[in-house]
Amino acid sequence: MKTFEEKWTAWLDDELAGAELAAFELSLPDRAAAEAEKASTRKLRLLLKRELSPSVMTNEEFFNHQVRERIAGDEASTSTRGARSTWWTVPRLLWSGAVSVVVFVLCAVWVMQDSEPLEPSPSLTQVLNAKLDPTVGPDATMTMFEAKEDRVTVLWTEGLKSLPSDYAAK
Amino acid sequence: MKRRLLVAITSIVLASGVLPVQAGVLDNILHPFRTARRSSSKSASHVGEVVWSGLVMADNAPGPTKIPAELERIEPTLKELFGYSHFDVIGQSRNRLVTGQEDWQAASSKHFVLHVDAQGPNEGGYIVNLKLVQHETTEPPSDQLVLETATKLSKRSPLVIKGPQVGDGQLLLVLVVQ
Repeated sequence: MKTFEEKWTAWLDDELAGAELAAFELSLPDRAAAEAEKASTRKLRLLLKRELSPSVMTNEEFFNHQVRERIAGDEASTSTRGARSTWWTVPRLLWSGAVSVVVFVLCAVWVMQDSEPLEPSPSLTQVLNAKLDPTVGPDATMTMFEAKEDRVTVLWTEGLKSLPSDYAAK
Repeated sequence: MKRRLLVAITSIVLASGVLPVQAGVLDNILHPFRTARRSSSKSASHVGEVVWSGLVMADNAPGPTKIPAELERIEPTLKELFGYSHFDVIGQSRNRLVTGQEDWQAASSKHFVLHVDAQGPNEGGYIVNLKLVQHETTEPPSDQLVLETATKLSKRSPLVIKGPQVGDGQLLLVLVVQ
């Protein structure tokens, strides 16, 4: 059994029909005033539909809206990451460092025990001292230098007496 | 917490220093190239190596020449240093070191003799005393010492000595440890 208010609302919305509509209209004390109110209600409904429809964004508004959405998303993800990085506390960092040192020392021990003794890098030939006989060149001098590209050590003499070509005989 | 960490690290350091009986691991890590304890084994490794010595005449004589294998590697350097393009070996010798303390007459030619007095192996090479003697065939024959040098010969590092000018060429002394 509908109340009067329910029937009134349904009448305003044109949802009453048949015998129910006729019975309700007969029960109205002032039919003209009711029709006037129904008409004004319809006008108000149309006005609200027109004015409260979803507004269309301009390009600028849409762009600003997208930027705001992106900023909000980034802030949310940053705060999530910050919460995750808290696993590396100071004690855990210290323990991780200590474990790394232990692993390094163990590896070093293993490598040092298994490897062959290291050979020293081959050095260049060195002239420790040199002298020329004065009779073969009173003003003769000697200089030592190295040609590094071929690892050749050169003892360079100057001022020795020249000899005739027959001294080149085998 | 901190105290436990300190104790753990201290234990590791002490253990790594104590484990090897003859030397700590840290000692080896800090001095990887120290060879004092290995010198005796290194000395033995020199025995049996061959020393090639050559008296080489360098000049600009035309025509091809066959350069000995011992000089092939350093031929570009010899050309660049002395400015000659032709190298002719007038005397050569190969001597194998048995004890590393031998004396031998190395390369010789008609007028030159190279004497080698090996003083024994040294770290990274041999100490040798070299004497270049010029032989005069006059009557009576005589020998004239030209130069004398003490050298530490290293493997794969040849020694080249510039000798006197002979005619249009240059006498070179070359020693190579093979």
